[in-house]
Amino acid sequence: MESVQAKAPAAAPVGRKRQGGGLLRRIGKRYDLYLMLLLPLAWYLIFHYGPLYGLQIAFKNFNPGKGIMGSEWVGLEHFQRFFESFYFKRLLWNTLSINLLSLLIAFPVPILLALIVNELRSKSFSKWLQNITFIPHFMSVVVIVGILSVFLSPSTGPVNKLIEWLGGEPIRFMESAGWFKTIFISSNIWQNMGWQSIIYIAALSGVNPQLYEAAKMDGASRLRRIWHVSLPGIVPVIVILLILDIGHFMDVGFEKILLMQNNLNLETSDVISTFVYTTGILKGEYSYTAAIGLFNSLINLTLLLLVNRFARKTAETSLW
Amino acid sequence: MRKNWKMCAIGTVVASSLALAGCSSNSGASGGMGTEPSASSGGAVKASGFPIVDQPIKLKMFTRTAPVNGPFKDMPVFQDYEKLSNVQVEFTEAPTDGFQEKKNLLFASNELPDALYRSGLSQLETTRYGAAGQLIPHEDLIDQYAPNLKQLMEQYPEIRSGITTPEGHIYAIPGIVTLAAARTDKKWINQAWLDKLNLKVPETTDDLYNVLVAFRDQDPNGNGKKDELPMTARAPVAGQGLPILAMMSGSFGLDMQFGYNINLENDKVNIWMGSDRNKEMLMYLNKLYTEKLLDPEMFSQKEADYLAKQGSGNTGFFFDQTNNNFLPIQDQYVGIAPPKGPHGDRLQSHGAPVARDFGAFAITSVNKYPDVTMRWIDYFYSDEGATLLRFGREGENYEVKDGIPYYTQAFLDTGNQSKITPYAGGGAPHLISEKVASFINPPQVQEAQKQLDPYMPKVRYAAPMFDEATAQKVNVLRNDLDKYYEEQSTKFIAGALGFDKWDEFQATLKKLKIDELQQIYQDAYDKQAK
Repeated sequence: MESVQAKAPAAAPVGRKRQGGGLLRRIGKRYDLYLMLLLPLAWYLIFHYGPLYGLQIAFKNFNPGKGIMGSEWVGLEHFQRFFESFYFKRLLWNTLSINLLSLLIAFPVPILLALIVNELRSKSFSKWLQNITFIPHFMSVVVIVGILSVFLSPSTGPVNKLIEWLGGEPIRFMESAGWFKTIFISSNIWQNMGWQSIIYIAALSGVNPQLYEAAKMDGASRLRRIWHVSLPGIVPVIVILLILDIGHFMDVGFEKILLMQNNLNLETSDVISTFVYTTGILKGEYSYTAAIGLFNSLINLTLLLLVNRFARKTAETSLW
Repeated sequence: MRKNWKMCAIGTVVASSLALAGCSSNSGASGGMGTEPSASSGGAVKASGFPIVDQPIKLKMFTRTAPVNGPFKDMPVFQDYEKLSNVQVEFTEAPTDGFQEKKNLLFASNELPDALYRSGLSQLETTRYGAAGQLIPHEDLIDQYAPNLKQLMEQYPEIRSGITTPEGHIYAIPGIVTLAAARTDKKWINQAWLDKLNLKVPETTDDLYNVLVAFRDQDPNGNGKKDELPMTARAPVAGQGLPILAMMSGSFGLDMQFGYNINLENDKVNIWMGSDRNKEMLMYLNKLYTEKLLDPEMFSQKEADYLAKQGSGNTGFFFDQTNNNFLPIQDQYVGIAPPKGPHGDRLQSHGAPVARDFGAFAITSVNKYPDVTMRWIDYFYSDEGATLLRFGREGENYEVKDGIPYYTQAFLDTGNQSKITPYAGGGAPHLISEKVASFINPPQVQEAQKQLDPYMPKVRYAAPMFDEATAQKVNVLRNDLDKYYEEQSTKFIAGALGFDKWDEFQATLKKLKIDELQQIYQDAYDKQAK
């Protein structure tokens, strides 16, 4: 699916020339197709563009009794409060660093996994490997966090039992600021690598087998073949997925962090999305948190635009 | 085809404008509704007696269910009261976990029920939603339709001052607790262990430390293993402070006035979070924690874990209002007085005002029968109504001895006690008096309360009511301050932060404008004192 998207822009310029004036006429001709488009269009309008109307509460003192329009306008007051907040730096730093680390560490793992699966000779073993890495994706976040706290429990968890057996002191993993990011990111990798590798595996199966044969004839080793044939074959997919990932760079796994959060690891686990939940929904500060959410989205948008531009220039692949 | 398109477009425009009009007229109406008397409503309310209305009416209420409760519609109190009053209440139940979220979303989306039952609205929420017109002023309704509640408010004037906004409005009704023992958490110590180890009841904080060490090391449960849990406490709920601090602060001369970390000395309000006394308390708790005397799971355990630890008999020292969670082994435990601190302080700092459960019931602007609703809830502020609420049906659930209702043994044996009453789990809008407290206030709990009585502060100020602007300011200040204080004090206790950082901690409190908050509370106190 992603590769289709990647090729789409290449085909577009040809179509554009023919477009000319008769758009309405062409809609009339192919009305059945356009009718089908109505449904997703309505979905976007209602659920994605409609709510934009409510964004104005970020600039108002939202009072549910007076409604969105009737609430009093306060301008940038809420933004100012957030930027001057004691927690601003910490929230921003945690959100950015968790994402950056995820990107650096977690992003390449599915690619490696896909390459391994692709290279495996035994079909049954590669299926088995895929299934094993696939299953955790279907567990709910609550279960995952439950598993984490059972495994990492200082008194009964196997990890700490092992540490004790090796002569160490048990570590309170879940209640330590230093361990939070490690646990969060590594469990994310464990949970998602199988799922995320699917697209790469699909892309790898699309690489022309003649290229491999030719490389073999030229005496390329297995690693060489991966480096010079497999990887270049899936680079467009990698770039697209990277851009998409950057698109929600600032939305870290909100539920998971919230579930793992406690006062002792708050130093490193306090991120913008959980802050929005705890102050916005739980304490009813809708305008303040709408402002924070808007700020968050603006950063996302900027990053997306930058990376897209960068990708278009260097890898000649981009979202649009 | 073109024609169809146009029709379609027009249709869409009309429909959406209708929807918009619907929205705006809706919000407009809800703003004004509150002040109008509901003379137009079909159900003519009777001034007294039952049924409240001749023609049955329906009310929708939003409520919280605790994990121990059964469904509200199966509770005898609501089944029987529906027959008695002719008011049929349809409850929308939200579990305690996530209740706060659902409640706020109701207000934010303006999809209000007729009333909120057991809603635990905060002072800020009532002023905010009251000012927004989503909650109606209750004071006139109380005067006219709530004789029981009115009488209580005359008997205890602090109730009225505690729930009335500076503008003179009451936007929510509290749960009222005239029984002193239901306003404190007792300090339960394992007497069986004390006896076994030949120890006396700890009188000072140092004694307490030694006793806990003995609990840890000398195997009081006699199984040859060091598996005893010397001391535990409730886990904190974000934004509501650390329970362990409220339990221990009295020994360090730290009171909890205005429902906050406040000492009142010579008419001066003093928020003590950055004080040296607080440092001493945190250092003491840190000592207990690092020596494994204090439950390491204390900061993250679930309520169910905590209750299980009470019932296990393997815990040395903990805090709770009643003995109901460890009834089968109740003889092992005894309630003790607050231990005397290093400066000779001995204070029961934790305690609730008579209007214990603030914001327990509120009528919203969409309610067509506010008068009926007020009469409906008022019944529970009589001993009769409270008995129905807490004990269910006579004969089936309870029997009366010397004019006091007791659960029948047969019913208690079914284990369904907490399922049939909305009071279990706390926060239900009703009156808790001596008359209806046989279960929560048995002799053992009365004894434990007697231990605390001499050390109660002379006056216990309830959290003050601010006007909307001030309430918002307090909210902004306390959001940051409380979060910071909770996080840092947890770290101090757990040793994740050294006490060499105390100066930095104090400086940050200053930076978070603790002085400004103190001034606001001072002003509120001055106003009240006048």
